[in-house]
Amino acid sequence: MSAAVWTQSLRKEFTLGWGRGRVLAVEGLDLEIKRGEVFGLLGPNGSGKSTAMKMILGLLRPTAGRAEVCGNLAGTLAARKQIGFLPENPYFPAFLSGLELVRYYGKLCGLGGKALEGRVAELLSLVRLGGEAGRRPLRTYSKGMLQRAGLAGALVSDPEIVMLDEPTAGVDPAGSREIRDLIRELKERGKTVIFSSHLLEQVEDVADRVVILHRGQKLREGRLEDLLTMSGEWQVRARGLGEAQRRELHAWLVQHGAEVLGEGSPRERLEDYFLRNLPERERR
Amino acid sequence: MRESWRRIRAVAENTFLEAVRQKVFAVLLVFALVLLGGANYFAEFSFQEQFKFLKDLGYATISLTGLLVGLLGAAQLIPAEIERRTILTALCRPLRRWEFVVGKYLGLVALLAVMLAIMGAVFWAVLRWKEAQLIGLEGGEAGVVQAIQAESRDPRLWQAFALMGAKLFVVCGLAVFFSTLATSTTFVVAMTLLVYLIGHLQSVAREQWLESGEKAAWFIQLFLAAVALLVPDFNLYSLIDEIVAGNVVPWRATLEVLAYSVAYVAVLLAAAACLFEERDL
Amino acid sequence: MSRVVALALAGGLILGWGIGKLPWEIRMTKEQRLATVGFPGPTAVAVREKLGQGLVLAALGGFRGLAANALMLQAHGAWEEKQWVRVRSALELATLLQPRVALFWDLASWHLAWNAAVAAERYEGLESETRRRIEARKWVEAGRELLERGTRAVPEKALLFQRLGDLYWQRLSDYQAAAVCYRAALTKGDVPPYLERFVGYALDKAGDKKAALAYFQELRRTMGENPDPARQPEVVEREMQRLTKELRTSPNGKRP
Repeated sequence: MSAAVWTQSLRKEFTLGWGRGRVLAVEGLDLEIKRGEVFGLLGPNGSGKSTAMKMILGLLRPTAGRAEVCGNLAGTLAARKQIGFLPENPYFPAFLSGLELVRYYGKLCGLGGKALEGRVAELLSLVRLGGEAGRRPLRTYSKGMLQRAGLAGALVSDPEIVMLDEPTAGVDPAGSREIRDLIRELKERGKTVIFSSHLLEQVEDVADRVVILHRGQKLREGRLEDLLTMSGEWQVRARGLGEAQRRELHAWLVQHGAEVLGEGSPRERLEDYFLRNLPERERR
Repeated sequence: MRESWRRIRAVAENTFLEAVRQKVFAVLLVFALVLLGGANYFAEFSFQEQFKFLKDLGYATISLTGLLVGLLGAAQLIPAEIERRTILTALCRPLRRWEFVVGKYLGLVALLAVMLAIMGAVFWAVLRWKEAQLIGLEGGEAGVVQAIQAESRDPRLWQAFALMGAKLFVVCGLAVFFSTLATSTTFVVAMTLLVYLIGHLQSVAREQWLESGEKAAWFIQLFLAAVALLVPDFNLYSLIDEIVAGNVVPWRATLEVLAYSVAYVAVLLAAAACLFEERDL
Repeated sequence: MSRVVALALAGGLILGWGIGKLPWEIRMTKEQRLATVGFPGPTAVAVREKLGQGLVLAALGGFRGLAANALMLQAHGAWEEKQWVRVRSALELATLLQPRVALFWDLASWHLAWNAAVAAERYEGLESETRRRIEARKWVEAGRELLERGTRAVPEKALLFQRLGDLYWQRLSDYQAAAVCYRAALTKGDVPPYLERFVGYALDKAGDKKAALAYFQELRRTMGENPDPARQPEVVEREMQRLTKELRTSPNGKRP
């Protein structure tokens, strides 16, 4: 079976016009994303994540190289049928309601009739925008609601691949957690999820594999565990040690030739602290 | 084929819906209707003149409103979608780019058609109102009534209406064409307006180019040729003026101008689709 | 399809259509002129005022009817204030903007040859009767000149020829010229039924009773055995009798 996404020596140059030269956005990018994988495109702003995604979506034509989606040349109708896309920031026609948005995207995918209506209702309730919320205009939505509406729109044609551009940027911790849960849920349903992010710590617990881009080029690629595990170091977390035992432990370590790099009480991540302190019903 | 049409219709419906939900078009419509109603207040002249004024003002109002709708709608089309980036969420779907272009055009044309229909109906009512007023004023003598009704119920007015619609649809085609080239709404509005204005001079440029021979300098020749070749001849639609002036215009000539409009729009959309196909978004 | 190909294709389409549409536009323009004005070439107006009109047209972008109406309103206002020079310039401009509107030429010439001329005749600022006559005559001539241009701009309609005839008759007492104008009007489609007798009246008034009688006789003959009552054959017959009688008493056709 062909890879979900495959690219070879993908390159994109932008001409600035009026003789101001060119900008190299992506260069020599080789990717192979397997089906059913959760794949992260990581890197700082301007590293070429969005450009790479747009080339896979067919919104930009590569200057050189080749991109395929499920064995189809990127940008072709067959390729685009396989992808649902949630863009960065809520770029949606603000005059529509959530319901109309999802219906519009369904129609653009060639769906129609009762099948479409059923699908729209199902998706809206999946992203918790069923009922009255779905009938409000998008301009009254919060950012999180817009993201969810957009996600329903991305999923309307039941695509093989879901692409999310900076899905957690500008979303509060609860929304961010929600999106990570949704990514996991999509993976369980057998979807391939490709997302981009510049907030590395937010994605480490969902991505199977990541590629880190820097100035348009691939810096690192691999399973997060492999990339992040510092195999030369060892860490122990323990409870119930008194001051004396701690000194003893330190002395033992030094005695056995270890270099102690750090010790002390671990700190919780602020996001986890925040979520832990929310009332029970709002945690989900 | 059916799926393709479904997608085109979705884009068109969305374009139409967007326009309808914007206050500016409703305001324009109200403004036009007030003008049309007000056009009735020239009472110092002979009834032929009153009808000429009424018709001129009516057509000018409808035409100007249509032009504004076309220009503003054009600004809403592709450039604004690119600026707001909503276009990304549409074109990443299995939607061909030419389908998007055609859908946008049809949406705009549908908006224009609805507005023209409303304004046309009001204009018709104002003409009838004038007719009743004048018959009341001039007395019910059969000859006079007949002469007044010949003005107010002139079937050629619908001919003029069709021509006006066709002209505006070509303007919309121009707007769509420019919006596939441009990144800014200002560019589209300015270019469309420019071509609209030059279009009324095209026949003069054409005749000057084809008849002037070797007399003019080469750059003048080049300019005239460019105008003649690249700009539609909006003077062909001055049949509208003929009709308002009360002159006979054969249906054959009208239909031919309509055919010219359809052909022009088709070429513009085809070229727009080509340009848009390769555009980076 | 690469970007270059797409650009070339779009450019080729536009240019190819541009070349293809030219003969079509030329033919349509010609046929429109033929259908509306009656001859294929540019109208007399178009040749004379092509550039000015073209520029104005472009500036007005198809809304020249509106501008012309505004000028007519202006002329009307100036008329009420008896500002004859302003009346004239507004009317000239209106007819320049919309030379195909017969109504404008009609109204314009009426203002000049009748209203302005009569006002000049009665103008007390000029003491000499002769000076006043000369002044009035200038306005009549202006109106006549305008109408002549009008008949060239709207050659397919009877109205302006009829008005020109009226002007020759009522303002210049040139009855022969009036007869010529009425005859010209009769060759157009939309003439009121009484107009056909006017040629005869004008010839009679010019003193050419023979020609007048011949005209009425010919006219009666064209009505046939069962004439349309709207054409009032009895009036024509009465004129024939009268002219015959008058010619008998004064056979050389001159007035006694």
